[in-house]
Amino acid sequence: MKKFLALLLSMILALSLAACGGDSGQSQPTVDKPADTQQPADSGSEPAEGKNVKVGLICIGDENDQGYTYNFIRGKEAATEALAAKGITVEWVVKWNIGEDSGCEDANIELAEEGCDLIINNSFGFEPFMLKVAPDYPEIEFIACTNQASWGDSLDNTHNAFANIYEGRYLAGIVAGMKLQQMIDEGTISADQAVIGYVGAFSFAEVISGFTSYFLGARSVCPSVTMKVQFVGSWSDATEEANAASALADMGCVMISQHSDNTTPATTAQSKGVFHTGYNNDMISVAPEASLIGTRINWAPYFEYVIESVANGESFDQDWCHGMDMDAVVMTDLNEAIAAPGTAEKLAEVEDQIRSGKLQVFDTSTFTIEGKALESAFALDTDGDFTPDSEEAVFDGAFHESYFQSAPYFALSIDGIEWLNSAF
Amino acid sequence: MNHEKKIPLIRLAKRDGMESWKVWCIRCGSILFALLLGALVMALAGANPVTAYGTMISGALGKKSAIRQTVKIAVPLLGCALAIAPCFKMRFWNIGAEGQITAGAIAASYFALFWANRLPSPVLLLVMGLAGALAGGLWALIPAFFKAKWNTNETLFTLMMNYIIIGVVRWLQGGPWEGRKGSQIIPQFDEAACLPRVLGVHCGWIIVLVLVVFMHIYMNHTKHGYEIAVIGDSVNTARYAGMNVGRVMMRTMFLSGAISGIVGFIVASGANNTLYDGVAGGVGFTSITVAWLSQLNAFAMVGISGLLAVLSKGAETLQTRMAVPTSISDIITGILLFCMLGCEFFINYKLIFRGAGRKEARHG
Repeated sequence: MKKFLALLLSMILALSLAACGGDSGQSQPTVDKPADTQQPADSGSEPAEGKNVKVGLICIGDENDQGYTYNFIRGKEAATEALAAKGITVEWVVKWNIGEDSGCEDANIELAEEGCDLIINNSFGFEPFMLKVAPDYPEIEFIACTNQASWGDSLDNTHNAFANIYEGRYLAGIVAGMKLQQMIDEGTISADQAVIGYVGAFSFAEVISGFTSYFLGARSVCPSVTMKVQFVGSWSDATEEANAASALADMGCVMISQHSDNTTPATTAQSKGVFHTGYNNDMISVAPEASLIGTRINWAPYFEYVIESVANGESFDQDWCHGMDMDAVVMTDLNEAIAAPGTAEKLAEVEDQIRSGKLQVFDTSTFTIEGKALESAFALDTDGDFTPDSEEAVFDGAFHESYFQSAPYFALSIDGIEWLNSAF
Repeated sequence: MNHEKKIPLIRLAKRDGMESWKVWCIRCGSILFALLLGALVMALAGANPVTAYGTMISGALGKKSAIRQTVKIAVPLLGCALAIAPCFKMRFWNIGAEGQITAGAIAASYFALFWANRLPSPVLLLVMGLAGALAGGLWALIPAFFKAKWNTNETLFTLMMNYIIIGVVRWLQGGPWEGRKGSQIIPQFDEAACLPRVLGVHCGWIIVLVLVVFMHIYMNHTKHGYEIAVIGDSVNTARYAGMNVGRVMMRTMFLSGAISGIVGFIVASGANNTLYDGVAGGVGFTSITVAWLSQLNAFAMVGISGLLAVLSKGAETLQTRMAVPTSISDIITGILLFCMLGCEFFINYKLIFRGAGRKEARHG
């Protein structure tokens, strides 16, 4: 026992030495009252015209997902760099792997108490918990990405944001469609074998809007294309996503795309000898023989905009949604080695048309629902029963997605797309 | 290599009757040792251990808002530890508290979602609590019944029951109770179905404190408590004394499940204001540690669950302020629990080293 005590004592000594040694000037930025740091616009800080903003970011995952959260981190880094050039220093506090439960409420409180001027919640399900905290901190701005209850509520400090990702999906669809048309022209497949398989997370408006725009893009260059959608019942489940992609390939799909977080649909497509287009990230590196292109939201322009507004003490949009017009939606590199010839030119052409507003992705003359053209569809739900009941989205010959609010609301099932399971 | 018969390097011997001051010295020592090991881990992760521990404590208890959050974390841990205590006393290994919490939360949520407009708030909350208790109790009664009737293995049975009920919540989330189509999210409860706040925290903390007193009395001063203790010591003795062991088992499990169910109600109504598949969030397992560390003493559980909550909240702040991954704090919590549970071994057994007189014990 004595020996044990001696060992213990020596350890204590060693550690306390180590502790003393490492204690050089590691002072924490202690912030007691958020109100004190609220107006960083005031010229009182040491650097000449430097402005500091403390931003909290709450993430559902961490950057290792190489998908959804990683994409936010990319936006964070790009925005920090861009703002530094403008003399604005951003101090980020990131909370990783937060669940969509009261833990998210705690994370919001924690960041607020740490003196953040702006708190960004990156997942859809965070919003209700964020909204419980926001009233207690009226001087802090709160953002719920991809959701829809913050912009229209009675609070001025709650915001929503999303991007017109359907524009990027449409372009990815064009790349896929051109590849399919090339295969038809070369006689590799017959016209009715041009089938796309789509791995979707849930039958959720954001997903439906995404795969519909993707399909419309493909059909604009390959008229005989059809699509099968398999829902996996999870935003991120590598195994299930691979299984779904594999099942779709076995059903005869020669092109796979996805709205889920992992790269396994890409690798599965490659092993099955079919093609693929990705989401959130460039997947060419994991599947060089299958992955044609990807599309992702670029959060940098939005982050830059809101942080600059906060730094200058200005208010900013409560609901923000932009697309290719502000580079909020970008395409990843085109895999020229396997893409159909002329794809890059076609992409540039259509991108211009989208930017100029000449081309509407959800042009009602390009699709039918149960054989009929779409004449009317509501965008927003105002009475809380989760069925849209106000704001006519169909006008000027198109369904206007993300026009009345940033969160997507196209949730219709159009002809040519077969839902294999809508249980999710 | 020599083949002569050797005395093993370390021998164990049971020891009893250690003075209580010594026992507490060992316990405190183990905590100290754990903190030192934790400091080592933090130093390896590149954080200054002294600042890090300071950050954890100030993060958990430094401010009113921090204390509130810490209490919020402690409430379900304490409630659930109270729930499993009688089972463990009886040596009935109920590791299904997770499922019993979830069952209670489902029942409470049903009333929260569909009866909010029909009942005044206090009545509604009462109904939710009773429904939660009933559902949790019935969910626990199933394995107890099988154990009493056919002597099935309660450990496996209760564990399996967890997965079933969590599957049910997933189905509700994506199916009949889903809010916005495809979102997999059940809408937030009506205000009337949310537990009111007292001193800034949902009043679940008052409920569990009442349960502490109840459980203390139940375990130590009632006939039921006595029966549980006897069965825990020896089932045969209990039978010989004329106790209906099966009945006591079912009764105790129902009570245990009912308290877990109330915890489920508290978490759904007080903390989350909604139901989701992670409503139990591992509390059913962590509380086993709380119960053991407290030696099934209801009052000690208050302290232990508070300690775990401080660690857990402190870990969050540590990550926020010093960018130490939360997994590091999980490691520290793990070390602490391991040492605290492990020290009981040194209280019950003593180590006898070979050749206690020799200075060094070398390996051949």
